[in-house]
Amino acid sequence: MSRKLITGGTLYTMADGDDIFEGDILVEDGKIKEVGEHIRAEDAEVIDASGFCVMPGLIDAHSHIGLFDFNHDKAVDDANEMTDPVSAAMDARYSVNPKARELKAAYEHGITSMLFTPGSGDVFCGQAFVAKTYGDNIFDMTIKAPAAVKIALGGNPKNTFGDQKRLPMTRMGVAHVLWDTFRKAKDYLDKKERGEEPEYDANMEAVIPALKREIPCKIHCTQYDMLTAIEVAKAYNVRFSLEHAWGAADYLEEIIESGCDICYGPIATYRAPGERRKVDVEAVKLLDDRGVNVALITDSPILSEESLYHHMGEAVREGVSHERVVRMVTVNPALQLGLDGRIGRLAPGGDADIILVKGKLGLDTDARVIQTMIDGNVVYKA
Amino acid sequence: MYLVKNGTVHVGNGTVLSGFDIFIEDGLIKDMGKELDAQGAEVIDAGGLEVFPGFIDPVSGIGAMGIPSKYPDNGEYSDPVTPEMNLKYSIDPDEVNAQEFYKSGITAIGLAPTNVNVMGGQIAVCKTAPQRMGKRLVKERAGLKCSVTSAVKRFYGEAHRLPMTKMGIFHLFQESLRKARSTPENERTEGQRTIIDVFDRQSMQVFCAASSKNEIDGILHLMRDEKVQLNLVDGFCFADSVRELKEQKTGLILGNVNEMSQIAKNGMDISKLTELVENGNRIAFTNSNGGFSEGREVFLWSAIEAYRAGVPAEEVVKMMSLYPAEMLGVSDRIGTLETGKDADLSIFTAHPVTTYAARVKHSIVNGEVIF
Repeated sequence: MSRKLITGGTLYTMADGDDIFEGDILVEDGKIKEVGEHIRAEDAEVIDASGFCVMPGLIDAHSHIGLFDFNHDKAVDDANEMTDPVSAAMDARYSVNPKARELKAAYEHGITSMLFTPGSGDVFCGQAFVAKTYGDNIFDMTIKAPAAVKIALGGNPKNTFGDQKRLPMTRMGVAHVLWDTFRKAKDYLDKKERGEEPEYDANMEAVIPALKREIPCKIHCTQYDMLTAIEVAKAYNVRFSLEHAWGAADYLEEIIESGCDICYGPIATYRAPGERRKVDVEAVKLLDDRGVNVALITDSPILSEESLYHHMGEAVREGVSHERVVRMVTVNPALQLGLDGRIGRLAPGGDADIILVKGKLGLDTDARVIQTMIDGNVVYKA
Repeated sequence: MYLVKNGTVHVGNGTVLSGFDIFIEDGLIKDMGKELDAQGAEVIDAGGLEVFPGFIDPVSGIGAMGIPSKYPDNGEYSDPVTPEMNLKYSIDPDEVNAQEFYKSGITAIGLAPTNVNVMGGQIAVCKTAPQRMGKRLVKERAGLKCSVTSAVKRFYGEAHRLPMTKMGIFHLFQESLRKARSTPENERTEGQRTIIDVFDRQSMQVFCAASSKNEIDGILHLMRDEKVQLNLVDGFCFADSVRELKEQKTGLILGNVNEMSQIAKNGMDISKLTELVENGNRIAFTNSNGGFSEGREVFLWSAIEAYRAGVPAEEVVKMMSLYPAEMLGVSDRIGTLETGKDADLSIFTAHPVTTYAARVKHSIVNGEVIF
């Protein structure tokens, strides 16, 4: 039995309504055993965290690391199977290189879990999964698969198939594929539930967990495409989050009424007519104030892993408090993904994914992670 | 007339003045000092605020791309060597305005060609505030933008034209110089005249995109006997060529390091900037990467990465103001807060290099309060 006692740090437990307090954490066999003040565990290895913030490992809820490889002169795309607008069956785990350099940058910056998702070149892009950022084998690193059905609206699928003069080459075409696929999947599921045996269809099978509300749909959309996403998702009563969500401030009431979650980011793009017309970081503040679960995402490696700090910082610049912004990269994404029992909090029974931070992440620009623990193992020390 | 009162004034050259006033008239800084008396001037209370010179992005693409159009207006790809192109004619004021650069403290940008041409054209410096174009243009022909990155060979290689390799790129660069110099003055093309002006008469500095180690070492080798000041653009592998950069006192305009995970990709050791600073190399930041721009926010992010890596905050401020102004040859007008300079001020609620909570409270450009 391996026991570690992290003592004297300022604990960000992410419990609801709980204040930030000084305390200890006992780790046993890769799990958090106890969180509190003055914990005694004489046989445990002591990690002195006095003077540091102790936080749950950060979560980036939308990443393509290892699926996109930019480490060569020519970019490698294993994120988009753009041969059919309905490619829901594609399992992102098979595209990820666990030795991607960006993963090291991730855990060195305190990001201990990520949702890895296919890109947005199709309407139904494939199955996303959640994995730890440290390890040798992506299947061993995985903690939930599938974790979401990835869907994309707007310019990306439209351009993919428009270039091939195939459906969908318009936004109405994208909406048609969306409606049509959900209808077929529902019919397929109904048949199965009636005991009929429809011909096996891997794409339909991949949509079933979303229809059963077991996993969410993550829907890539910006600006007015959000209205399409909300309308279709509501009609099929699926859980969903709007991904990227530039322009969300213009659709605040619709978002709140739908009960969906938001994955906002990446923030830094130039402004131009079309999908980039409005990149409104201030929406993060508006949504959070109204009780919407907002996670901040980097889309890495499109933007870098360490830019998660900058994303937190831009939200802070728009008035979000440091305490709230930390939730957007810990417990909020964990709740979105149905993993809050395991990651995103410092609570007994959870995975011992714990980071020690000097300074306040998202507020102090020079705040830095000095130690990262994943499943109870220290994987990085500054 | 405005009197910016009682601010913490960051001059831009490393000096910080507490409780200082700045008197603005006719678009210029007319006076600076403690407890200035300026009757009739509108007072802007800067008590508790941090006053900076407007920041400068020396090589922005956004603002001259002409979105939406099939071909970007900052890339004349009919030939890989187009030094005669003047970016002034591609500035789209609405595209500049749409970025709201001043919200990140940026009040001037050098609009530059992409990285596709070996010699792409001449940078034009423009203010970011929505004002009449005549007032906005600070300087045309402010720098010659070149590139030795793989963007060049990707574009021309596909068309089976020179250059389709890195050696092809450097060959073309050298040949363009040699041919311009060996052509009799009265027979030179406009492009050749530009090359002579730049390389033999130092009419403007050279801004060359180079990213990988072999690109950086290559351009430093090629330029080692040239008199004109060279500034690397992007320079993501700069930390692997610090010795060479120090020898030639090469400038460095660090590209958007957060895009495409440049730090992880290149194993960048940003702390090496301090060595260059101590050696007297000029450093600056840009929103662009690979010749294309991202949003205004990333300019501050790169500055923050430098600070995180150990560069002192006020040294980082110089990289955002004074150094880019010197590179573009516009330091007589912008880049520092001094009497006689343009009244371009970014007034923040806190120091934007040290805290994310810093917001622009007021932006003043050409003496007008924009925000």
